[in-house]
Amino acid sequence: MSFDDILSGSQQELRRGTVVLACLLLLREPGYGYALLEQLRDLGFTVDANTLYPLLRRLEGQGMLVSEWNTKEARPRKFYRISPDGERLAAELLADWERIDASVRRLGQGGQEP
Amino acid sequence: MSTLTDRYVWGVLRAVPTAQRADLEPEIRALVADAVEARTAAGVVPAEAERAAIAELGDPERLAAQYTDKTLFLIGPRYFPDWKRLLTLLLSIVVPIVAIATMGASYLAGKEIWEIVASGLGTAFMVGVNLTFWITVVFAVMERREIADFDEELAWTPDKLPEPPATAATESLAGIAFSIAALVIAAIALVWQQTAMPITIDGASYPLFNPDLWSFWLPWFLVVLGLQIAFHLALYLRGSWTWAFAAVNTILNLAFLVPAVWLWSEGMLFDPGLVEALEGMGLATAFRPSGVVVAIVFIAVTGWDIVDGFRKAARAGQAARLIPAA
Repeated sequence: MSFDDILSGSQQELRRGTVVLACLLLLREPGYGYALLEQLRDLGFTVDANTLYPLLRRLEGQGMLVSEWNTKEARPRKFYRISPDGERLAAELLADWERIDASVRRLGQGGQEP
Repeated sequence: MSTLTDRYVWGVLRAVPTAQRADLEPEIRALVADAVEARTAAGVVPAEAERAAIAELGDPERLAAQYTDKTLFLIGPRYFPDWKRLLTLLLSIVVPIVAIATMGASYLAGKEIWEIVASGLGTAFMVGVNLTFWITVVFAVMERREIADFDEELAWTPDKLPEPPATAATESLAGIAFSIAALVIAAIALVWQQTAMPITIDGASYPLFNPDLWSFWLPWFLVVLGLQIAFHLALYLRGSWTWAFAAVNTILNLAFLVPAVWLWSEGMLFDPGLVEALEGMGLATAFRPSGVVVAIVFIAVTGWDIVDGFRKAARAGQAARLIPAA
């Protein structure tokens, strides 16, 4: 196994949970699947279409997102939006993320406090 | 002709349960359409755009599996080590025995050396493939059943922890493998005695058992042997005997013993031609009493196996109760 393989494997592990949080935060503004995929990619999240779409549906099933078919435009599109439960989840995850970030920074600087 | 999109949508839908299809179809169509639109807006030719959009969504079965949380493996990490160990052990026991037995029979039948080798290799291959296939089927079914159970009982509590197997009553892998090997060899022998007609008297070949029994009883015995193999696999995976295992063991043993003894006592078990030929040799007087001895031994062995199952179940129960005190 080359270093690059190890790196990409580890990065995948590290990023796995972050897509959920990113989706929740982005969907404070209603959005549809493909637009969300592009937004995520522009922000530097590597996510596959065939992972993202089922994920959105799963989050909807769990009540973290709500969806609505928009039929006003030329083609119907399914728009997702964050739900109040989703907001709570996002807030918790964000707090967790900040805690992890702080801890990792402390470790990275070698300044382990007792 | 249907478009690439139609074909893709169908590829996904056929891999999800019917109830979800109506709901999922417009969604997938919209996803493809959006991706196509983004590309045509950037100046890509529509046909190229459709192809690229679908390529981006990837294998329809994989997408469907993501939507339905289905497993895409046959035997997962939970059972893989058991599957591999048991299969290796069984193959290494059964295949050589069967190959040597076949070659021995060919040799006794006065076949040429190349025929002897070919019969050995052929049988080894057939047995190996069949054994691998059926063991894998049993494990794959276990894997899926477990996942279904897990979904139903998401709420896990400490009460659901399984009883630890009593060390004294634990079934060893070698013991189970030998039991299964014996059953597989018995099943093969049952078929072999008919196809090879191994008994030759005065130039005529006979099978051991009455060929008329292939209409029901011999297939019945094969099925019971198959169920016993599945039983031993389940026993090994469970780790120890329980009362339920002992009860099933009793039923399976009786399902074999009772018809066998009944057929024998009615004089229907052995090939009539063979019996006649033996009588012609003046062996009939010897044949009957030795049959009685075999029948008694058979009944005794089966009876012991049944009792032993209950003994082990009792011991496993006791040992499980003793653990908290220890």
